[in-house]
Amino acid sequence: MSDRGLRISGLRCSVEGTEILKGIDLVVEPGKVHALMGPNGSGKSTLAFSLTGHPKYDVTGGTATLDGEDLLGLAADKRARAGLFLSFQYPAAIPGVKVPNFLFAARQAVRPGELTPAKFRALLLEMMDVLGMDPSFLGRYLNDGFSGGEKKRLEMLQMAVMAPKYAILDETDSGLDVDALKDVGESVKALRASAEGRDTGFLIITHYPRILQHVAPDVVHVMMDGRIVKTGDTELAHRIEREGYDKIREEIGAVA
Amino acid sequence: MPSLLVDGGDRAALLERFHATPSGREKPSRYFKYDLESPQIDDAAAERGSGAVSFANVPERAIVCDLATARRDRAELVARAYRQALESHHKYAWLTLAYGGLGAFIYLPDDYAPDAPIVVRYAAEDGASIFPHTLVLAERGARVTVVEHLEIGAGGFACGISEIVACEGAHVTYAAAQFAPEDARAFSTRVARPGRHARVTWATAELGAALAISDIAVTIAEPGAEATIASLFFPSGEQHADVVSTVDHRSGDSISETIVKTAATGRGQARFLGNIRIAEGAQRSNASLRDDSLLLSKSAHVDSIPALEIAANDVKAFHGATVGAIDEEALFYMTSRGITREEAERMIALGFFEPVIERFPTESLRDDLRSALERKVGAA
Repeated sequence: MSDRGLRISGLRCSVEGTEILKGIDLVVEPGKVHALMGPNGSGKSTLAFSLTGHPKYDVTGGTATLDGEDLLGLAADKRARAGLFLSFQYPAAIPGVKVPNFLFAARQAVRPGELTPAKFRALLLEMMDVLGMDPSFLGRYLNDGFSGGEKKRLEMLQMAVMAPKYAILDETDSGLDVDALKDVGESVKALRASAEGRDTGFLIITHYPRILQHVAPDVVHVMMDGRIVKTGDTELAHRIEREGYDKIREEIGAVA
Repeated sequence: MPSLLVDGGDRAALLERFHATPSGREKPSRYFKYDLESPQIDDAAAERGSGAVSFANVPERAIVCDLATARRDRAELVARAYRQALESHHKYAWLTLAYGGLGAFIYLPDDYAPDAPIVVRYAAEDGASIFPHTLVLAERGARVTVVEHLEIGAGGFACGISEIVACEGAHVTYAAAQFAPEDARAFSTRVARPGRHARVTWATAELGAALAISDIAVTIAEPGAEATIASLFFPSGEQHADVVSTVDHRSGDSISETIVKTAATGRGQARFLGNIRIAEGAQRSNASLRDDSLLLSKSAHVDSIPALEIAANDVKAFHGATVGAIDEEALFYMTSRGITREEAERMIALGFFEPVIERFPTESLRDDLRSALERKVGAA
């Protein structure tokens, strides 16, 4: 059991020849919530994309395993089937592909044959209710003409129906109003309360601590310049809220 | 059956018009090998003029019959539609007229609105040439949907005309999906003339044939009319498709929407020319032209040319176009949900056509289109 978890070790990643991640060590255990905070440009989204296998992100060193399975050698679809999920900050619009068809295809891909279409639909409607989504969403094309808030809700809906082992939320809170933020929090809670999502580990990437009022993190990490520079508990998030990132940057500078 | 030669013109004269009329299309290029000014016509096969027409879902109060019968028994009605929407620049229509005879006449009396779409089926044997001419005359306030099926055999040639005359307040939807064998040729001229506050919709698909040529036009000569042209075409293998759409706003307070989705794969070649014309007096016209192209292979080629000529000053005209391969970010997004790259490409390519597929009037036609498109995407 010791290899369980989303285990990242010494991960280095370059984008178009520029090294962004300079050795990331991080373990998200099953059922735990980790928050990854940091200023813009610190490499948080790069970590998310390199773990999920975006072809533009070139992993140059280190390892990443999901419950013991090597992720880095797998194509993106296989990483998802291994149990990894990313809530995109800017999800692509795909005209002509209807939301429920896509969701069913995704569900079948990661958990083949477990749900009949009728049960799937019931799950969908239940989760949409949690997320405050109108059933008319089901008649729309994937992210096509969606507002920012609608896109984020749809990301959460996908997370709910796929019930991943590990979910990375890349700034899912950004640009959301108070109600939408609350809905995101509720959907994380609902997944954790479900049989399928009881052991889901979360890596919540965020710029601001406010999402953490809705989803209490077990561990908080601070990332700067491609490294994790501080790890602590909720108090670290509160400190960032009070003092901003500059204070921490000064501390790091003083140590270095 | 002898051909019905019309308006005093004999076949030689009509063929002369065909040859003399410019196609309004580009010359052959390194991509598009066919010369559309003078396509090869097998005169002997054309003269045999084989083919048959049949109907389904004929509503009680409509007149639905073959063209020869209509010309004999309903000459005064036929005269109100026959060649009433065609214009002399419709090159390929001359060819249909030259070998004319086969056809259908569909007439809807005032305010008559049958529920089910009227189905017109043209069938010809392998290697045969067929020149069908379909007329739809909808009286004031009538509502009708017509679905045309063209079944031509291997190596066949079809060159057809569809004409719609919609009187005041009438709504006519005409759908035609072309699935001809890949060694056939399919030409079509589809022209409509909506009356005051009438509404006309063309929903067309060009999926089969080695060479598909299509002219689709709506001439708005009465105020308050609405026109929709929804077209998709998808050459694959060695197929070539050339489509010209024209919406001519000659009268104002009118609305038109042209939506075209073109994909090409294999060594498929497609050309689309989208004309929007708004005449000087056609104030308060509202025209939109949306054409998107998707390239699914390196050897495929699509030329998409919008042409907007606007002579009135109080109008709305929109044009939007995209061209390119499948977006890598969209692919990554889908694969990040566990969907294989292959399946993601398939879903994105099929989804690309969906906004046009939705304009087709029946679920079975939409499903036929989806299956045919799926086969083409899968075979690429």
